[in-house]
Amino acid sequence: MRKQSLLSVLALLILILNAQGWNADAGDVLQEKEELKLELPKPMFVGTPRNIRSPNLERITGKKRGPFYVPAGTILLSAGKPVKASDMEPIIGEVEFLTDGEKSGEDGYYVEFGPGIQWVQIDLGESIPLHAILIWHFHSQARVYRDVIVQVSTDPDFISGVTTVFNNDHDNSAGLGVGKDKEYIETNEGRLIDPHGISARYIRLYSQGNTSNDMNHYVEVEVFGTPVK
Amino acid sequence: MSNRAFAAGMLGILSLALFLRVPRLGLRPMHHDEANQALKFGALLELGEYRYDRTDHHGPSLYYLSLPFAWAAGAAGLEDLNEAALRRVPVAFSLALLLLLALIGKELGRPAVLGAALLWAVSPAVVYYSRFYIQESLFLFFVLGTMIWGWRYFSRPTLAGAAVCGLSAGMTFATKETCVIVFAALLGAALLVRLGYRGIRPEFGSELRMTGMHLGVFIGSAGAVAVALYSSFFRHLPGVADSVRSYFTYLERAGEPSWHAHPWFYYLKLLAFSRYGRGPVWSEALVLGLALVGIVSAFRPGRRERITSFVRFVLFYTLISTFIFSLISYKTPWNLLPFYLGVVILAGAGAAYLIERAPRPGGKAVVAVLLAAGVFHLAWQSQRSNVHYYADPRNPYVYSHTSTDFMRMVRRIQDLASLHPRGRDLLIKVVADPYSTWPLPWYLRSFSHVGYWQEAAEAGAFAGVPLVVASPEQLARLSPELGDDYQIEYYGLRPEVLVALCIEDSLWEAFLKTRKGTLPKVPP
Repeated sequence: MRKQSLLSVLALLILILNAQGWNADAGDVLQEKEELKLELPKPMFVGTPRNIRSPNLERITGKKRGPFYVPAGTILLSAGKPVKASDMEPIIGEVEFLTDGEKSGEDGYYVEFGPGIQWVQIDLGESIPLHAILIWHFHSQARVYRDVIVQVSTDPDFISGVTTVFNNDHDNSAGLGVGKDKEYIETNEGRLIDPHGISARYIRLYSQGNTSNDMNHYVEVEVFGTPVK
Repeated sequence: MSNRAFAAGMLGILSLALFLRVPRLGLRPMHHDEANQALKFGALLELGEYRYDRTDHHGPSLYYLSLPFAWAAGAAGLEDLNEAALRRVPVAFSLALLLLLALIGKELGRPAVLGAALLWAVSPAVVYYSRFYIQESLFLFFVLGTMIWGWRYFSRPTLAGAAVCGLSAGMTFATKETCVIVFAALLGAALLVRLGYRGIRPEFGSELRMTGMHLGVFIGSAGAVAVALYSSFFRHLPGVADSVRSYFTYLERAGEPSWHAHPWFYYLKLLAFSRYGRGPVWSEALVLGLALVGIVSAFRPGRRERITSFVRFVLFYTLISTFIFSLISYKTPWNLLPFYLGVVILAGAGAAYLIERAPRPGGKAVVAVLLAAGVFHLAWQSQRSNVHYYADPRNPYVYSHTSTDFMRMVRRIQDLASLHPRGRDLLIKVVADPYSTWPLPWYLRSFSHVGYWQEAAEAGAFAGVPLVVASPEQLARLSPELGDDYQIEYYGLRPEVLVALCIEDSLWEAFLKTRKGTLPKVPP
């Protein structure tokens, strides 16, 4: 036992001395600092990639959305409701496409607005507690829409009583404030936004181009809530 | 036609060709293939390294012939070059091809040469790909050279003719592997012309006795340039054997075209009529129509035999090459150019024939005005193709092209690097398969610490890495590594292909500070 204790003390002494020596070495090394040369792999050369011109090929994200729970009695409120837009003369389609119930990704079912930031606005007719907003910008191609901002309000001009329920304008390029929500890839599931039961009559959605082109598109927007009886 | 009128005509056509090819050469984002070629050229320029890759990238001529252009620009490395500087190489060869056309006045007739040169100058397909840093322009230049000197040798065999034809054929071989199709078509055309004249004019082609000396000179001159280039000027001799072995690779690829498989009529439809979605209509039907007239002209009695025999030679070349290229299911749109060269020459002959046959004086004027309108339409399409639809999938010649959105990511990376203490020495990890990577290496050529991995698991630790570029697939695997410390932005690389730029939080915060005071852009 005593022998073991002596050995332990000896080992400790050696360790301390070594450590001191190492520190002295480290000090010398620090004096002669040099840049760590990183050996980084080079890109691999490959031939011409696939040419994709037609829509509706493959999805990039495969996971299905999980269940989303809303209060009992929640119904679709936006069907057939009037729509206003920052540009009432879209390049393709009609603003009414937003609430016509058609969600196909094919040509003839989406409305296209010009470049830059554009908005569309749905009038529910009365102020109603909202529990879900579902957006399809353009789901026949994997793409990401930029500066998606969703606001709800009781004011048609969105001057007062405005609540932002979604904002992924992370660099404030739309100028409505920095958003903390993430960008997402369009799928046929649409993007579900939770308005947390806020009562509002008007829903305004902004966007500013996408990863495929500078245009802004909507196939459909659905707003769900519990009508006041 | 007088020398002065012909020279003035050619000068005008060259000016028009310059106007359509040279401006805004840097506007279009680099295509995946262009960036590949550029990086390979960079190794040659900076390190003197070139190794022929028998699985890809075609022959060595593009790289070696780019050197004088880079030296003239005073470039010591890839960083000193930009897209426009590289694209001047194919543009120069596209213009030089017009000068080659000017040499066949005797064989084709000067009016037909002017017609063919004018159509070549304005053709949307030709103009679009003459602004691409790929092999096509050089290939076409050497194909035409082989065609001209091959025909001249066929008509009047001389030792000098065999040498020049050999040089041209050697350069064609050193440019692109599809030369075998072109050689087969040229040889087949020459034999068919000779066959057609047997019994009519026995003396035509009777001089064609390729002596051993001629054959030796032809093979020697062709072999000399091909061996020199494929062996990297005798520093990598296996490159010569690889230049032959590569045909097994390309044969295999032709048999398994995967996503480049297209029906036999793909090229002809592309030229005749294309429209995608609600995009504009594209058509080079005028050239196809004039080529049919040119074919008719070659079989009309009473025409000069020297011209009709050359037109027939071009016709047979065009038919054979169109047939072979259409038969191969692996198709990319730029591969139509070798046979389209023949179509354009035939169209030049057709245009000249129409004017020649039109009744004087009003008829000729009407035909000339109609042709001018058609040429204007082609030139207008070319301009539209290169200025407005240069990367738009609604342009039929845009194939697997890099999206303009990708350039936003490049600018973002540059902006972020300017805020980082290490500047362009900051570490960037790219984790994506090669199809989701290119042309990024070209755009990051001035960044010193960029690593490329195909799998997240191989890319090491990510703690403290300021920028990560990842495909969505790899991003999903990287998420646990990146945690909540990164801002993620998506960008479009090509249609359906997205890449994510992950920006480390402290760098992102620094960037956001530069965005303070951004004015609202929201429309009323």
